[in-house]
Amino acid sequence: MKAEFANPFITAAVDVLEKETGVKLSRKDLKLKSAPIPTLPISVIIGVTGPVRGQVVYSMDEDFAFAIAKAMLPSKLPVDQHRLTYSAVSEISNMITGQASIALAGENQTIAITPPAVFVGNNMQVDFLNVPTIALSFISELGVLEINIALSE
Amino acid sequence: MSKMNMQRTGLIIDDATIMRLRLRDILEPYYKIVAEAENGDQALSLFKENKPDFLTLDITMPGVDGLEALQNILAADPHAKVVIVSAVGQKQIVFQALSKGAKDFIVKPFESERVRKSIDRLFD
Repeated sequence: MKAEFANPFITAAVDVLEKETGVKLSRKDLKLKSAPIPTLPISVIIGVTGPVRGQVVYSMDEDFAFAIAKAMLPSKLPVDQHRLTYSAVSEISNMITGQASIALAGENQTIAITPPAVFVGNNMQVDFLNVPTIALSFISELGVLEINIALSE
Repeated sequence: MSKMNMQRTGLIIDDATIMRLRLRDILEPYYKIVAEAENGDQALSLFKENKPDFLTLDITMPGVDGLEALQNILAADPHAKVVIVSAVGQKQIVFQALSKGAKDFIVKPFESERVRKSIDRLFD
């Protein structure tokens, strides 16, 4: 795991959350882990392939997820709150990964990202990649966001 | 906005429900959104069925992705007006999409105005 992989995700997370929800994220913590196992109840997994490959796992609590969805589309939220909330956190994760991938790909390479998969619940069993992981956490007025970056070249 | 644009029809293609709702919210005051698709396969059949005047097309989708869908749609109708709306704004991917025939490439997150103006320009 190269430490430089973290910077595009930090920049993208701050930028995307501010543009989409008007919320300012602040860096809370950075930890090294042996796998991208999330610690909060709602998680979004995105696969990355190409010259840089692996998984990025986003994780947040329900309040943070609901607040994101509400900020993204307040007028439509009551129709089907859970479906839209999971769609919103998927899309935010997709945007952060997509924006980070621009920096990771550079001028001449292409990095593909998979559609996001949402997992809900604290006791979910998922076979995560066993790849050294940088775990970033952010705080905001909406709550905590964690990004587990398990990428290698 | 001219009355003529209100008669133009659009198809929104994105796997995320929230983005389809949002694009519909932005465009519906000015255009008639006739259908929504959540993957490339569905996009092609809804395109053939509805013959919309324009399409917004995401790239990262399950099954047939946006770049493949773009080729399929343009093979069905070389004059189709497709605007890509995607989070994956890597230079090589933008280049591929535009060289395959997309009219514009909007990178998410976007401003509502950027989307509306892009569609307006298709009919200038």
